[in-house]
Amino acid sequence: MSFLSIRGLHKNYAATPIFADINCEIAQGEFVTLLGPSGCGKSTLLRCIAGLTEVSGGQIILNGQDLVPLSPQQRDIGMVFQSYALFPNMTVAQNVAFGLRMQKTAKDETARRVDDALAMVELGAFAGRYPHQLSGGQCQRVALARSLITRPRLLLLDEPLSALDARIRKHLREQIRSIQRELGLTTIFVTHDQEEALVMSDRIFLMNAGKIVQSGAAETLYTAPVDAFAAGFIGNYNLLDADNASRLLQRPINSRVAIRPESIQLGQTGAIEAQIRSHSLLGNVIRYRVEARGVELLIDVLNRSAADLYTNGQQLSLTIAADAIREVA
Amino acid sequence: MSRTDAQPAALYHRLVVWLLFLILLLPLAGTLLYSLSTSWSATVLPDGLTFKWYLALWSDSRFLAAFARSLLICCAALLLAVVLILPLLFVVHYYFPKLDRLMNILILLPFAVPPVVSSVGLLQVYGSGPLAMVGTPWILIGCYFTVALPFMYRAITNNLQAINLPDLMDAAHLLGASTWQAAYLVVLPNLRKGLMVSLFLSFSFLFGEFVFANLLVGTRYETLQVYLNNMRNSSGHFNSALVISYFFFVLLFTWAANRLNKDKS
Repeated sequence: MSFLSIRGLHKNYAATPIFADINCEIAQGEFVTLLGPSGCGKSTLLRCIAGLTEVSGGQIILNGQDLVPLSPQQRDIGMVFQSYALFPNMTVAQNVAFGLRMQKTAKDETARRVDDALAMVELGAFAGRYPHQLSGGQCQRVALARSLITRPRLLLLDEPLSALDARIRKHLREQIRSIQRELGLTTIFVTHDQEEALVMSDRIFLMNAGKIVQSGAAETLYTAPVDAFAAGFIGNYNLLDADNASRLLQRPINSRVAIRPESIQLGQTGAIEAQIRSHSLLGNVIRYRVEARGVELLIDVLNRSAADLYTNGQQLSLTIAADAIREVA
Repeated sequence: MSRTDAQPAALYHRLVVWLLFLILLLPLAGTLLYSLSTSWSATVLPDGLTFKWYLALWSDSRFLAAFARSLLICCAALLLAVVLILPLLFVVHYYFPKLDRLMNILILLPFAVPPVVSSVGLLQVYGSGPLAMVGTPWILIGCYFTVALPFMYRAITNNLQAINLPDLMDAAHLLGASTWQAAYLVVLPNLRKGLMVSLFLSFSFLFGEFVFANLLVGTRYETLQVYLNNMRNSSGHFNSALVISYFFFVLLFTWAANRLNKDKS
């Protein structure tokens, strides 16, 4: 029996379906990510779980209880928003205490729990400040502390890192993950950033156009995309149509083919003649744009030393391992 | 640009500002001096200084009554405005954001129709029949409400747009607050600034309103500006004292509003 179970959930806005027949099972303490392009329905799904948006049908069962008839106040769910949604008129401590204030918790217990929550997000020294005096990363940590103070059964994170700059984003995602592990808190994280999803999640639900396209562990999604959308959204797959694939691999292929750029070996001894068109340095990886048999491919090579760099126009050959070639629908 | 380059320009700018300030201040200073002088007609400077005009003014029961009536009508109109506009704004922005465009057109109406024109209409509608209010303070309260509406709606809307209302409400709801609690504890305190600024602005404006007061009610419920108009044939010194008193009262109000704003931030 899973902790959170979503059964046949659908949502229409006027006559337009936002998502339809969503089914998923989430275990207690699991960190799952809803990943997908903007407009795929992932945020709406999250809001439906929170009770902020009404569903058009289906069930959301949390620990044996159907949430659909409950108001957001009754669901005992914590949520962090992309916009932080901190109350500007309250100090950090008052923001964090808000949930307890609504529960009419005793003053001394509130104070103690606020201290604990702020210590957890390393913001103890900022209790007396107002949100406008904090940086974006600090605001989001306050929002996290605020959502955790009532000890919710489920934590929902709606693109919490999207408004932050890259360095803070990386730091904060580690902090969120470690707090989540420490509390054993079941968490649903919404993002459109595949890297975030791969790094943070126990399990990923990949969504497109209101449907869950694929679900599974990060490795599965990365190495075994089920269709062209999944291959196109995760990683930087080379997606070839049947004609190009047949020409490149010189055997008849009837479906599209996805090949990961790092699974192609570039060298002098391969079977397929290739020429370097251009290259770009991504840091630890060099990405070559290569033409082989009239097909353009991206190939990622580890950046070991400057001496190994191939020049544009250089004639080389490449090897594609059989198991790296994935036929996708 | 270096500091030395900047100095002549800065001096020039300062000069312009001071000059403008002086020009604006001059009539006021003249009025002030006139209200304090015993007599001032054929000479460059007044013959002597006295407080007798102020004493006469502030012991005139007709003036005090007019002052109180103005105060009462303004406060009543603004109270009505707060009671109606705050919930209206909340409902428009939270539940029906599309209505904001309609509201923006609606609140322009009091500007689009000049007071003299709308008074004629109001006299027609409220002059007789079931809603005969002309000549009573009630019509002024209602009328001043429409005058204050645009100021208040705009100022508070700006405040509302600066906060992310839907997300704040969602966050409060998830933390266990009812819509009333969220509105009272989270939304309202964030509107305080806009509300205060627009209240004081509207007050200063309405306190000096003359056209509606004179045409709709006139001497039947004499307000400050109508009183001033009716006293136009009495001593100029006395009237100057009245204008200066009025000015300082509004100034005090504006200053208080500013103070209140600064304390908040």
